[in-house]
Amino acid sequence: MTVLNITRLGAMCILLSTAAFADGHLDEMTPNDLLPLAQQEGSVTVYSFTSRISKVEAAFEQAYPGIDLQGFDISSTEQIARLKAEAQAGVANADVIYISDTPVVLTELLETGIIAPYVPPRVADRVDEQYKSPLLAQRLSTKVLMYNEEANPNGAPVDSLWDLTRDEWNGRVVMVDPLQRGDYLDLMTEIVLQSDQMAQAYQTEFGQAIDLDGAANAGEKFIMDLFANDVILVRSTDDVNAAVGKLGQDNPPIGFTSYSDRRDNEEEGWALQVANDVAPAPGIIFPAIVALASEPKNPAAARLVIDFLMGDESDTGGPGLAPFYVAGDYVTRTDIVPHPDAVPLDDFNAWRLAPVETAKIRAEVGDLILTLQ
Amino acid sequence: MADATLNIQGKRVLFRPGTVLKLSVLIILILLIVLPLLRTVLFTLQPDTIKAWSDVLGSRLSKNLFYKPLTNTLLIGVVVSTGCVLIGGFLAWLVVMTNVPFRKTIGVMATLPFMIPSFAAALAWGTLFRNDRVGGQVGFLQGSGLDIPDWLAWGIVPTLIVLTLHYFSLAFTIIAAALATVNSDLVEAAQIAGAKGRKILMGVILPVTTPALVAAGSLCFAGAVSNFATPALLGLPVRMQTLSTRLFGMIEVGQVGRGYVIGIMLVIISGIFLWAGNRAISGRRSYATITGKGGRAKRFDLRGARWPLFAIAMTILTASTVVPVIVLFASSFAPSSSDLFANWTAHYWIGQSTPNIAQGTAGIVHNPDILRALGVTLSLGLAVAFTGMIIGLLTAYTLARYREGVISAAITQISFLPLLVPGIAFGAAYIAYLGAPIGPFPALYGTFALLVIAATAYLLPFSVQTGRAVIQQVGGELEESARITGAGFVKRMTAITMPLAVRGLAAGSILIFVKIIRDLSLVVLLFTPTMPVLSVVAYRYASEGFGQFANAITVVILSLSIVTTLIANRLQSKSQPWLNN
Repeated sequence: MTVLNITRLGAMCILLSTAAFADGHLDEMTPNDLLPLAQQEGSVTVYSFTSRISKVEAAFEQAYPGIDLQGFDISSTEQIARLKAEAQAGVANADVIYISDTPVVLTELLETGIIAPYVPPRVADRVDEQYKSPLLAQRLSTKVLMYNEEANPNGAPVDSLWDLTRDEWNGRVVMVDPLQRGDYLDLMTEIVLQSDQMAQAYQTEFGQAIDLDGAANAGEKFIMDLFANDVILVRSTDDVNAAVGKLGQDNPPIGFTSYSDRRDNEEEGWALQVANDVAPAPGIIFPAIVALASEPKNPAAARLVIDFLMGDESDTGGPGLAPFYVAGDYVTRTDIVPHPDAVPLDDFNAWRLAPVETAKIRAEVGDLILTLQ
Repeated sequence: MADATLNIQGKRVLFRPGTVLKLSVLIILILLIVLPLLRTVLFTLQPDTIKAWSDVLGSRLSKNLFYKPLTNTLLIGVVVSTGCVLIGGFLAWLVVMTNVPFRKTIGVMATLPFMIPSFAAALAWGTLFRNDRVGGQVGFLQGSGLDIPDWLAWGIVPTLIVLTLHYFSLAFTIIAAALATVNSDLVEAAQIAGAKGRKILMGVILPVTTPALVAAGSLCFAGAVSNFATPALLGLPVRMQTLSTRLFGMIEVGQVGRGYVIGIMLVIISGIFLWAGNRAISGRRSYATITGKGGRAKRFDLRGARWPLFAIAMTILTASTVVPVIVLFASSFAPSSSDLFANWTAHYWIGQSTPNIAQGTAGIVHNPDILRALGVTLSLGLAVAFTGMIIGLLTAYTLARYREGVISAAITQISFLPLLVPGIAFGAAYIAYLGAPIGPFPALYGTFALLVIAATAYLLPFSVQTGRAVIQQVGGELEESARITGAGFVKRMTAITMPLAVRGLAAGSILIFVKIIRDLSLVVLLFTPTMPVLSVVAYRYASEGFGQFANAITVVILSLSIVTTLIANRLQSKSQPWLNN
């Protein structure tokens, strides 16, 4: 009886360790090693926060015939809700998670063990440490101050964020409601985190030290002043783009939106341009994360997709990166040539979002904004 | 001895007519509605989320988080439901009881606004009334030199108007179905007694259609208070919030606990309002108007008022149907969302994939995802219309025949509940509820069955309310005579009640079909990769800035809804020739 139990225990140990070994092994594999395993799996499911996944799907299936990539375009917030519900139901639908909203992702998905990090060994040495841990960032996206280039041919009409609290910009600053869109709340949170710089910029702009007047810090004071100056809240970045960018306006507003939306200027009839030189910074730049489901059904194919999304060995990353190689999106791989039409990342003045710091006070900043509305 | 007496009494209670039926219905409703919602409530009572209650109800945040949005929400609910019953009732009266010109056209058009997604109506409002507050494109009127004030362009006034113009068709459908069953002998009796048109309307028709009016008002109230798209589009630029926009925002930024608390409060407060409405009906004895005798009443002759009333009706209908449809249609052809009538192209409909338009997305007729979604959506609509009306009829029948007692009251309240639960919360609750295996039953996550069950539960208020308004009018005397001749429950339902209630049931089925094929909030979490539905596909396109594809799909959904309605109307008139002139 006891012997039998011990044998069983031993067998279980061996099985468990092989499983662990196999998994660890997968993490070390090159794309060539992964390919046959992935082809055996036959398909892989990706949840993506951008519709550009459909382009990735076509390119991936062309590069790796025999693996069916099922890409689903699901907003970050919805992915979080869905992944949590799926985890509760004991279902693992997705193999790969491609998502922004990092502060929420860290606390709600990574810490709870719903997703797991993976850095393809092929590119590991060509991505900065800050973009590999705790999760791999594929590229950086933005929420920054943009103005109408047509109405302001000589550059941005403001030189400091504090300008937005002046009378002349009363009712003429547009952004998405930070209580409806996570990335705008991240932007507001970053302004609070950067209170020292905000105080400095105030001094430069108005020639006197900031009077906090009840606010906890310069960042909060800015947010309070911005709302007191009748900032206009809309529902989506496209609403901001249309308001700020629309051609033919005499006195267009200014607003916070994505730098990469400038790529739609021609198609939509916009004149969006980034106010990169505004003090202390035009906004935030934040990572788009790729990660594994913690127990993917197709572990090899999932890793192969992430490897593919990080781009090939060409200068611009080839078909895997092509959908993301646009002005205003910054690829994290250090060896990819920067996009020629964009402000180079080194010259781009936006604050780098610190997900962990942001997560700590994000809810507080949300509460502050709640009391201002 | 005492035991025996008790036993007999116990049996009497148990086998009192209707007890078994009532209990079965109650159990179905508890399984479908109460258990999933209970999970949501329990979620907010966990140690780390319970603070959300005090945050929402009694902290420095409460004013903006809860009380101000609550005021707006209640204002919207009361004004919109009143407006809807007035407009819907007026149109239903014109169509069913008078000789107004183009009755049938008015009848068809009045059912359309409900099939147009409310965000399309809100967008249409912007196309006309948008002023320069936000910047960018101004609306048509401001562009023609008029100065549109903020209160007319944004906030509560346009929200009230747009929602009323959206939901009145719901009231129309319900009230028209009820009016169509008003018996001629009631009206003729009044006419013989010398009553004039106005007197007949106020003294006979209004009172006997009270259940329908209350049902219509309740549905419009509940729809208006939980509507998200319209206040979000029109209210935000002036920072007007309702409970539904607050709820959405809280879930959107990850404060799920607060979101659920707001949702629960929305349910409770709306519940109180609707309970008051229900009291109004249950106080009356009988609304039976379809009895064993009698035929169709003569139409009122409007005489000189025919054309003026026609003009009023058409003004309302044009504003609520023609304008939003034109905006939707135009925007499915216009490359730039800000200039609707320039550079039209059919690419979004029939184009092959080209890399430089919309990330290479092919026009919707060449798009396999959309075609698959179309199949799933239609099957879902049919399945839910069927299951919904069966449970709805059963519930409505039970409530109409056995309206006394605690169980009936519970059934009434529970059947209303889903209406007040925002779809996204209901979907989330259902994933938690049926997503994992329960005992011997497998996990339903990702199956068609889960979509059908959740949608049936979610839309039950509609099936029950429409079924109820009609079934209360099917006189008990017919069924009683059948019972006396020995017909069983099933026989009585299929041979008497169902055929007589068919118009109301068909109206209910259409409502359900139409509602589910364009519903987004419920399915957005329930859909899975293998089970796509049209509205979710449209939403994805819209959120990616491919509004043209989204609008093209919306036009498809709209066309489906209209075709369904026309077919259903035709079927009804064939099966009930007495409804024709």
